[in-house]
Amino acid sequence: MTILEPVARIINVGLPLIVEGVPAADVIQLDWRPPAFGEADVARLALILDDDVTADANARAITAVHSVRPQLTRVRPAKEVVPGIADGRTLLHAGPPIEWERMCGPMRGALIGATLFEGWAETPDQAEALLDRGEITVDPCHHHGAVGPMAGVLAPSMPVFVATDPSDGRLAFASLNEGLGKVLRFGAFDDEVITRLSWMRDVLGPILDRALEAFGPIDITSLIGQALSMGDEGHNRNVAATSLLTRRLAPTIAAMEPSSDAIAVLEFLAGNDHFALNVSMASAKLSMDAAVGMENSTLVTAMARNGVEFGLRVAGSGAEWFTTTVGPADGLFFPGYGPDDANPDLGDSAITETLGLGGFAMAASPAITQFVGGNPDDAIAATKSMRRITLGPHPAFPLPPINFAGTPSGIDVLKVLDTGVLPLINTGIAHKLAGVGQIGAGIVTAPPEVFLQAARSLANRRGIS
Amino acid sequence: MNSPKTTVLSSRVLRHFYRDSVALMAIASATEKREGVIRVGAVMATPANRGILADSDMLPPDLNAESDDLVFVVRAESEDTAKEALDAAEAGLTAVETSGAIEEQRPGTVDEGVHAALAGDGESPANLAAISIAGTYAPIVAERAIRNGLHILCFSDNVAVEDEVRLKKLAVAGGVLFMGPDCGTAIIDGIPLGFANVVKQGKVGMVAASGTGAQEVSRLLDLAGVGVSQLIGVGGRDLSADVGGIMTGFALDLLERDEGTEAIVVVSKPPSTDVATALISRLEGIASHGKPVVACFLGMDDADPDSVTPGVVVRGTLEGGAIATAHLAGHELAVTDLDPIEPVPGRVLGLFTGGTLASEAKIILKRAGVDCEILDLGDDQYTAGRPHPMIDPEARADKIIEAGADSSVGIILLDVVLGHGASRDPATPVAEAVMAARSEAESVGRRLEFVASVCGTAADPQGIERQRTILRDAGVILAATNASAVRFVAAQQAGAHAS
Repeated sequence: MTILEPVARIINVGLPLIVEGVPAADVIQLDWRPPAFGEADVARLALILDDDVTADANARAITAVHSVRPQLTRVRPAKEVVPGIADGRTLLHAGPPIEWERMCGPMRGALIGATLFEGWAETPDQAEALLDRGEITVDPCHHHGAVGPMAGVLAPSMPVFVATDPSDGRLAFASLNEGLGKVLRFGAFDDEVITRLSWMRDVLGPILDRALEAFGPIDITSLIGQALSMGDEGHNRNVAATSLLTRRLAPTIAAMEPSSDAIAVLEFLAGNDHFALNVSMASAKLSMDAAVGMENSTLVTAMARNGVEFGLRVAGSGAEWFTTTVGPADGLFFPGYGPDDANPDLGDSAITETLGLGGFAMAASPAITQFVGGNPDDAIAATKSMRRITLGPHPAFPLPPINFAGTPSGIDVLKVLDTGVLPLINTGIAHKLAGVGQIGAGIVTAPPEVFLQAARSLANRRGIS
Repeated sequence: MNSPKTTVLSSRVLRHFYRDSVALMAIASATEKREGVIRVGAVMATPANRGILADSDMLPPDLNAESDDLVFVVRAESEDTAKEALDAAEAGLTAVETSGAIEEQRPGTVDEGVHAALAGDGESPANLAAISIAGTYAPIVAERAIRNGLHILCFSDNVAVEDEVRLKKLAVAGGVLFMGPDCGTAIIDGIPLGFANVVKQGKVGMVAASGTGAQEVSRLLDLAGVGVSQLIGVGGRDLSADVGGIMTGFALDLLERDEGTEAIVVVSKPPSTDVATALISRLEGIASHGKPVVACFLGMDDADPDSVTPGVVVRGTLEGGAIATAHLAGHELAVTDLDPIEPVPGRVLGLFTGGTLASEAKIILKRAGVDCEILDLGDDQYTAGRPHPMIDPEARADKIIEAGADSSVGIILLDVVLGHGASRDPATPVAEAVMAARSEAESVGRRLEFVASVCGTAADPQGIERQRTILRDAGVILAATNASAVRFVAAQQAGAHAS
């Protein structure tokens, strides 16, 4: 009798000494680390959760997410399309819920700017007073089907990208990208900022909307898919997607009157390498929302930062946020700035990583691989490491450097806990003072704590203790 | 942002030279780390970037550069430092990163390991997991392994008994072995796992709840010319009332069905009463179907079939178990005891590395009515913060030297355990310590004797003869078995008291 059929193949978890008598070729030595970041009680919950019920739910969830083919259909004023902000005075912000009093500098600056932009106050002091008195409701973008980068502040009069799910008519929204420099999303609110926002409201939004109406919906999945083969990763590098989007719309826009506006719009698009980021974000939001509330699923549906806390949402726990305090990103800084100047991590843009773009698609983007240590090999390693925590490759997002395998997509809380591998997020770094702007970029990992919380909550929902 | 010290600001413009901003930030960051460099800017000289430089007081007043030009700006403590930094930054533009081949990530979890096993062409699936991580996590990892259909060798200890019972039930339901927890020795399909001697393969199936017990029996069988079909460890608690012999029963099922197993020996401390009753009746059942069985239950009274336990030979020592099993397998193991030497005054101190060998010594000395102090140096109270003395023999060497200075000690009993997992040369530290201790004792006119057995085989990595020679050369009295060494000591004590 042999017990180990057909031949011995031994997985060694721990001391190599234990298998020193076994031929090395028959040993698979694990690079093991304690599960659930060393929280044994959570590791046990995760083990119990990891059953057929969860597997079935996750299969349904990831199929739902991967089946969404978001279409860029319109660019409309937020108050017309984003639910719950048409009446009264409501401003949306990035990340999980946070009260005005606890907000970071850039987010406070952005809310002041948005208040001025809406004409609810004449001066920054008045705006601040309104916010202090709670006369303006602040709410997360995510609670309204929307996402915004950095401070992510969305005001009712701002134009938003409308991403539509053609199969069921669901919508998701994102603000329009203002470009770099002094911009609202980094907390700037001077005249230059308000003037640009007004132009975006009065000229850019309507022209883009007319162009889309004339051109027809743009398939965002294929736009991003194409950009991934042109060196974008869909989060920190968007020059390819922006160029593709501009190229599609430019002939239609060029024919519009007055031509001075058309030219201004085309110049704006030509000067903003990140314009398509917000399209990518709206698309990712629409995709991930397809899994929200999928009972028993451990799929992450949102990762978002409000500049104070990191927030995580999971399909099986619906609208619940798991949050923990975050620090600043470690990264590369623009000349004159360093880690001491950096604001804690900020923005809804990690929705792109939630779908498998950004840090997960790093292999696609040789140009920005320096963030992960310097060369394309590291980027490929980064992408491959994300396979360890995801449910499967995204069929519509093949990455050329990994032989056209789909980007790792769909973070599974249980896999994060089992492997101890944390999601990689490509991010811009904001100055901690409102209005200074972007001072660097880098990589962050999602904090372990939120995954521990998620496992406890999911176990509780299933009556597991 | 001005530096308080006197600084210089130098710049260099590379005309019509483009690099991605990320590449430039990386160069700036690397250059900034140079001694004497305060700040570095590396940008394409677009209006926006010139603004950024200006904001941080890094824009040279006379900068003549256009958007398509690359500009390096260095603020440093001296002109020379600045120039060197600019040179370094420029060199960084063309430096080729040494890029190794992509190192494939090793699997980190059981699921990944199972997947990795199948990664190559024609690779066979994984079928056993050896687990030696902290006991807190061992049950979690073991359960994942059982779910993957893997047999388990769980070396980890500090596993709760509830977990042990649950996991063993899961294992039995899944048709796999759960060897452990705290299981240090197994030989499966001839493959040694943990601390195991290199013994010949053969027809005796072993089920062992004790590590060094299993080693002593298997190596004595080997000495008798009898090989082992399987040595299945079950963990020291398997025959306790709490666990109820779940894995012993499962292992016996396997061995009973195995055509390659013609005799079975179970090695354990005495089982709890209820478990013993059930187990003996199970063993009798196996014996009655023609497969003879030895129950080697340490400390139990020897018994032969057709008296108390028909069909099952019971032996209370490892040596006795090995002799009886060899006999059933058609071989005789003759153990020749040593001739007595002149009695040694002073008490008996046992310094053991093998827990079951220490137990066997205690049992035999107790039966002989000899006062003794037998230490199991592998016990937690002695190992705190150090490797097990079978792996690292130095801890015991210290104890031996201490005993050299203890005038009450006359005779020191030792074990030297060989095999996989054990120290590559356990005899040498013992020999050195023995010589040091003896010369210490002799310097005050005291006689100190050392008696040892070597638990090993000729095929062990250490080689039993080489190890025995090292010990013999140091003047250690060598017995063939642990039991024989103990009997020799008992005889000396009897002689010492008689004289």
